[in-house]
Amino acid sequence: MKKILQLSLGIITSVGGFLEIGSVTTSAQAGAQFGYQLLWPLLFGTICLVFLVEMSGRLAAVSKHTVVGAMRERFGFPFFFVVSVGITIVVFMVLIAELGGIAFSLQMLTGIGFPWWALPVSLVVWLLMWKGTFSLIEYGASLLGLVTISFAVAAFRLHPDWAAVASGFLPSMPHSDKARYGFLTVSILGATISPYLMYFYSSGAIEEKWDRSYVVMNRIIAGFGMFFGGFLAMAVLIAAALAFQPMGIQVNTFPQAALLMTTALPKWGFYLFALSMLFACFGAALEISLAIAYFFAQGLGWNWSQNLEPSKNARFAFVYTVIIIVAAIPLMFGVDPIKVTMMSMALTSATLPFAIIPFLFLMNDPIYLGKYRNGWLSNAVVAIVVLLSFVLALISVPLEIVGG
Amino acid sequence: MVLIRDVLDKKLIDREDCDMGRVSGLLMHVGENTQPRVTHILIGGPTLWMRVNPFLGRISKRLGRMWGPKRSEPVRIPWSRVETVGRGIKLDVVAKETGALDWELWLAKNVIEHIPGGGSEEEE
Repeated sequence: MKKILQLSLGIITSVGGFLEIGSVTTSAQAGAQFGYQLLWPLLFGTICLVFLVEMSGRLAAVSKHTVVGAMRERFGFPFFFVVSVGITIVVFMVLIAELGGIAFSLQMLTGIGFPWWALPVSLVVWLLMWKGTFSLIEYGASLLGLVTISFAVAAFRLHPDWAAVASGFLPSMPHSDKARYGFLTVSILGATISPYLMYFYSSGAIEEKWDRSYVVMNRIIAGFGMFFGGFLAMAVLIAAALAFQPMGIQVNTFPQAALLMTTALPKWGFYLFALSMLFACFGAALEISLAIAYFFAQGLGWNWSQNLEPSKNARFAFVYTVIIIVAAIPLMFGVDPIKVTMMSMALTSATLPFAIIPFLFLMNDPIYLGKYRNGWLSNAVVAIVVLLSFVLALISVPLEIVGG
Repeated sequence: MVLIRDVLDKKLIDREDCDMGRVSGLLMHVGENTQPRVTHILIGGPTLWMRVNPFLGRISKRLGRMWGPKRSEPVRIPWSRVETVGRGIKLDVVAKETGALDWELWLAKNVIEHIPGGGSEEEE
């Protein structure tokens, strides 16, 4: 009975915690500019994420190692140092974007400019980290995030042409604006395949004391949870394609993005969009802050647990305290969260091979996983998608920067 | 046992199951007529940074003297204190007494405990 409850909660939290500012912004921009044509990177990214999250949970359940702890052990400190530099920069940018997403949602609801919300929002996120337990953060935030299911309602209410939607799952080239198409593909892949999710998920498995008996449950949670989460991101793209593309609107601001909901749900759409973004970004900000603290604590062998009071794992608490405060500063000066989001998602794609390929070596190591090692299919799927996103990022990120 | 694979970078756990860092380096005695043997486990920033680049190791040492608990030398744990080598390395020591938790205790005492709700490091 306990496991059925854990299974249900695991799937619900994966769905509720999937959408965040990165996935919503990239999907909305892709739908507005290219219709259904960019559904395929969402599908590829979601399949890759299902495999990666399943691997992270399996590693924790079988070897009792978190992803970061095992990587440090297997590849040594110099490697950990290089990866930590890249991960810290990218994850820090994503945290700025998520805090900005919360602040922007509050601006929509209250009319008070988002820079004014930066500090209060950061303080609330920090306070929950300071006083909350792991379960409160994981389940509480993700349950609130279930309001993002309203994106699926919006997509269905706009009556999409399902044959056209299906054709978007096959890669195709656009007639014009190929550089932008490439950049959005990379951003979608970066928003979907976030390494911080793996760090968070494997840490959660250790916090909840998973063992080998959880291997099957982990597979179901990763499969269903991430798949339905990806389905919500696809709903955002479909709704954006129907709401924006016919009118030639490009989504460059947050209030513009709300149109994708108000077109389908004129009465409640505005508030549903603001609340969806508020809760989705809030959950993501908590998960990211925790993930970065886990990253350093596990990599360097410190005490770590979100269930201990801060003084019992002082370095762990210090890391998330500093990173949350520092992330609020650019927002207070009015840095645009959408621009930060797009660039951080593309950079995530560019750094993926450094985080993921060594992880694949680890997942094939009999010392850590014995008979629970990866099969050829999971290795192939993850390696292909990660290398594809890396190559696309190398081409499109410089083009986007040069072209503005 | 393969030292680099099984010992270096492994997590260290004290006799009370407290995490006390990872193995930063190993100190070996190489005698003229005897087999080389590991004498100490080293824990600390200077040893770690030295592995990336000797210059970074020297900077870490200098900064360690100026800030925080002001420890510039790595912590040395005699190899004789190693109990088991498995998923982690279990040591027959009390972490707090070795110096491996100097930064943890310094941060708890000087920063975290001063923030409301931070609790006290010494409370059980």
